[in-house]
Amino acid sequence: MNLILNSIHDFTHYDFLIYALLGTIFLSITCGLISPLLIARKNAFMGSAISHSTLLGLAIALSIFSSDNSFSIFATTLFITIVCTLFLAYSTFRQRLPSDSLIGIFYTSTMALGIIINSAFAKNKSDLLSFLFGNILLLTKEDLILSLSLLAITAPLIILPFKKWLFLTYDEEGAITSGINAKLFHYLFFILLALLIVTSIKLAGTILIETLLLVPGFFALKFATSVRQTFIYSVLFSTFFAIFGILLANSFGLPSGATLAVVLFIALVLSLLFKKIYTLVKSY
Amino acid sequence: MTTIPPILQAEKICFAYHGNDPILKDISFSLEAGESLGILGPNGGGKSTLMKIVAGLLKPNSGKLLFDGIDSKHFKSYPFEKFSYVPQNSELNTILPVKVFEYMNFAKSLYKTHQQNTKSIDELLKLVGIFHKKNSLIASLSGGEKQRVLIARALINNPKLLLLDEPSKGLDSNGQDQLLAIIEKIKEQEKTAVIIIDHNITQIIRNCHKILCLNGNYHWHDHRDLLTKNILEDIYHCEFEHLLIHENDVRNLKEPHTSETHTFCNHDHQHSQELDAHSILRRKK
Repeated sequence: MNLILNSIHDFTHYDFLIYALLGTIFLSITCGLISPLLIARKNAFMGSAISHSTLLGLAIALSIFSSDNSFSIFATTLFITIVCTLFLAYSTFRQRLPSDSLIGIFYTSTMALGIIINSAFAKNKSDLLSFLFGNILLLTKEDLILSLSLLAITAPLIILPFKKWLFLTYDEEGAITSGINAKLFHYLFFILLALLIVTSIKLAGTILIETLLLVPGFFALKFATSVRQTFIYSVLFSTFFAIFGILLANSFGLPSGATLAVVLFIALVLSLLFKKIYTLVKSY
Repeated sequence: MTTIPPILQAEKICFAYHGNDPILKDISFSLEAGESLGILGPNGGGKSTLMKIVAGLLKPNSGKLLFDGIDSKHFKSYPFEKFSYVPQNSELNTILPVKVFEYMNFAKSLYKTHQQNTKSIDELLKLVGIFHKKNSLIASLSGGEKQRVLIARALINNPKLLLLDEPSKGLDSNGQDQLLAIIEKIKEQEKTAVIIIDHNITQIIRNCHKILCLNGNYHWHDHRDLLTKNILEDIYHCEFEHLLIHENDVRNLKEPHTSETHTFCNHDHQHSQELDAHSILRRKK
């Protein structure tokens, strides 16, 4: 407990820790907003494909720029990831065949290509590995501005047409024939997802970001009894446990991405367990 | 004197799913304001495909759809405001915990800014007899109740045309009758034209002004006066299969009645050597 209290003390005194904390809050709110939609739209695997395709972007970026040129690396990775995402979005829009196989092929191929490019051209081959699992403590002021900008873009794009998102997710054909442009929303969703994933690389890494994208929504959909509640639960769960995870990681010197993933997972398992026990007790 | 164009006119609609044989071939029909068209036929006959084409979810390979006399291609975007479409309730995504009033609100929110002549959510839920479930989760409703909610949602913008894709699917006969009675009530009260796909032959014959029978390449329509329940049951249970036997015989250059499968034929209709659904439907005297 003392360790965590000391950690809180550290967060109020060191700039880089304040950046880490604020960055975590901004990104976890954004993840909390997108997470229920990602699950309800059955796009979890797509999220995985996008996050893995960032490796290709990172490998190309690290072959062109040195690892301390963070903005150029971010911009190049974002560009390549958005190109990959648009291809995936194009290939999966209202297709009759299940798109799992295409996504599976795509994400392993882009990852493999990334590894080859990194091995052949990267200035420092080990840099790519540091992006796999993230390190929130490396978050700079620029990264913080980026994550805040992302929240400023994502939140209105989810909240303002909130009912349209839900209508499309719940009754796609009913929504389309009511005049909602499903294609626009389909592409918008994946571009937002790509933006979020690229911006979160330093927080959780390309592999572990999936946890932040899926666990809050899964939790909320298990517990909420209305749509509004679903999104509120998701954001609160995501933010609370992400902050807790960061404090824990700093207290024990653990890797931030992995700690976040484990904390979210344990919180989910415990809450499901409590729910089960509560239901059993109530039925007696 | 100017004549009022039909609310919907389909002209020679053809459609084939990519790489497959045509499922719809030269389908034409028209529907006046306040009229109802019942679409019947066995599974895989193209009923839902035709409905999705009218709803703008699929594009026909050829043919025209005219809404109020105007070709749908002449509108800036597909004229979704001219109709409301109710898909089969199995197409709802049940992952989100959506309540009845929330779902109605999704649709209602689309029309607020356009100042259209929309009805209140309560009014519509009362019309379809589901007001008492306003705060319930849709996932917890029975099949019939879900269909009522879907229909109420479709009526929110006062459509002149309602497209219903198997609204009574999965309901018992009592539930089917109740639902079709609600649709009748809507037709009467709101003067809404309706296109309905349903397997409840008796109700469709009783309530629809026009009937369209579909089975892949074949279609038959606008001869409601010739229809009886028996003939339609023939269409469902044997006649369409029988048409395929004819087709195969002609393809294989055999005379009709000569294939092995044909020897089992004991239908009470007259055979024809032509591949013409109209003549095959004629009963033996």
